[in-house]
Amino acid sequence: MIPVENYFVLSSLVFLCGLAGVMFRRNLIMVLMSIELMLNAVNIIFVAASRHLAQVDGQIMVLFVITVAACEAAVGLAMVIALFRRYGTVNTEFLRLLRG
Amino acid sequence: MGMNLGIDFSSLLQWNDFTVDLAAFAVKFAILVGGLLQLPPLLVWIERRVPALMQRRRGPNRVGIFKWRLYGLLQSLADTVKLIFKEEVVPDGAHKVFYHLAPVFCVFPAFLVACAIPYGPDLAIYGYKIPLSVVRMDVGFLFIFAISSLAVYGVALAGWASNNKYSLMGSLRASAQMISYEIPLGMSLIPIVLIYGTLDLGKIVEAQNSFFQWGVFTAPVSLLIFVICMFAETNRAPFDLAEAEGELVAGFHTEYNSAKFAAFFLGEYVSMFVLSCLASTVFFGGWQVPFVSYDALVTMLGSPNFVAPIGILMLLLKAAFFMWVYIWVRWTLPRFRYDQLMSLGWKFMLPIGLANVVVTAIVLAVLRFK
Amino acid sequence: MEALYFVPEMLFYVISGLILLSSIMVVAARNPVTSAIFLVVDLFFVAALYAQLDAHFTAAIQVLVYAGAIVVLFVFVIMILNLKPDALRGIRFSLGEALVLLITLAGFVIVGSELARTAPDLTTPGNLGSAAIEMAGGNTYVVAMRMFTAFLWPFEMASVLILLAIVACVMIAKKDKRVTKS
Repeated sequence: MIPVENYFVLSSLVFLCGLAGVMFRRNLIMVLMSIELMLNAVNIIFVAASRHLAQVDGQIMVLFVITVAACEAAVGLAMVIALFRRYGTVNTEFLRLLRG
Repeated sequence: MGMNLGIDFSSLLQWNDFTVDLAAFAVKFAILVGGLLQLPPLLVWIERRVPALMQRRRGPNRVGIFKWRLYGLLQSLADTVKLIFKEEVVPDGAHKVFYHLAPVFCVFPAFLVACAIPYGPDLAIYGYKIPLSVVRMDVGFLFIFAISSLAVYGVALAGWASNNKYSLMGSLRASAQMISYEIPLGMSLIPIVLIYGTLDLGKIVEAQNSFFQWGVFTAPVSLLIFVICMFAETNRAPFDLAEAEGELVAGFHTEYNSAKFAAFFLGEYVSMFVLSCLASTVFFGGWQVPFVSYDALVTMLGSPNFVAPIGILMLLLKAAFFMWVYIWVRWTLPRFRYDQLMSLGWKFMLPIGLANVVVTAIVLAVLRFK
Repeated sequence: MEALYFVPEMLFYVISGLILLSSIMVVAARNPVTSAIFLVVDLFFVAALYAQLDAHFTAAIQVLVYAGAIVVLFVFVIMILNLKPDALRGIRFSLGEALVLLITLAGFVIVGSELARTAPDLTTPGNLGSAAIEMAGGNTYVVAMRMFTAFLWPFEMASVLILLAIVACVMIAKKDKRVTKS
């Protein structure tokens, strides 16, 4: 039997990957993909905990997370397309209208 | 006794549930892959001879060994040999990795999906029950949809990586079409899940034990939607816009040749076969023999092992019927326009599919109300 | 029999290794299409992990929705926008960003060690093992029974959320006529 800590370590490493992607990549699409990676890391913990606590709630949470991820990706990508039309770039360094 | 190597090999070779499952898996997988690889040549032959018959031509009939021509059956063999030994040309400016990877993405899901189809009733060998699908799982239905939705990547990557505008347009068309029609395809099978109350394909077949419990009688609207979406899902005529020869050269595989082109062929024919198998499993009782129940067959023949070949034959016959429909429709109906295709999918198939789900649910709720 | 007990554990380590490798590739690849394909690989292996944890329904949904629909969207957008590979050289490490990563890592270590210390019983398999699930009518049945009783309202709200997202997408991505005219 694999202890649940192993899943926790795996999940946190994947989460860190996603976080690094959000922080260091300058491409908006890459940032969105890194967010998916982070959500996915959380899902691993949910399922592992659900198995080990003998509660199915964790798996249901994963289904909701997937729903939210789908909505987030769709709206996010729509915004990326709108931004690209307007400014011709999806690089976050050039999209700094709110920075004054 | 022999040398002691420190490892007890005999413990690895003991027959228990795990090792039996593993061995059975290996044998079944090998047989399945071997069988599926024979499909494309046969189907190509049929697809040339059948329209020839329909249009009063002869079709390919020259290739043969000495004077035995076998109705041109060896033409496919000759074509395969030609395709494999042709020089491979990779276009300039292609993304090398994805260019070579795309055919794999096309073939791999098709073979994986074929593993989930129950090809016959369980075998009983030395007290072990061996199901006649390569893997039997309680979410077989969802597995099929999940894996077949991965085939989109093969198409999308092939078009993008070959650095050709016709390829890209063909691949965008094809993948948009596959995604759009996956939704009504899934929607059409939800009533089946509601009626039989399981996602396990094996159990769905077992539930269709008597003739009038077949899916075609319990969910006729689903069959209609499924068959139409089946054509779109495999990019076959009348929905073969992805490779509309007159407009797009050949669609997403314009830049492919030799063995990789053959791989796309293989993927297409295997996924046609799998969808035909799925249709017969869900709507025509799978391996069940019409009018004779499984139990009656077992008592008649004495052992479930004798029923299994009959079951496999029944499924293959039913699947062959659907394959025939594929070819028949291709040479009967003209191609759709792209906007017509999309509006058919989203404005007709999806609402009808949704209404079908709701009506089935209400009817079932009324019937099962106590 | 005993000789084969290591198989599931070995499988776990192989799958985790592949997950980690592909997640790093998602973040580190220069070409967005490469990233997207590695994201698919990552999601696929995470689904394999779920299947190993006897969460078959979740695994199937993961591949069906995540890999089969969401990432396809990404691939489509990347192809339509025809993005060039990023230049990775211009990345600057600011002190604040490094601090954020360190603090997150420290948080994980603290929570993880706390979890390992205070939860001694977690290594024993719970009632959601394959045998128990088989008894209860299968993973799908168990999930559905809970989903449509205790989680009915969140479930309905999720459908409203999806509807909102559809409307929002259409409104945002639609060509703005006023902008294109001026």
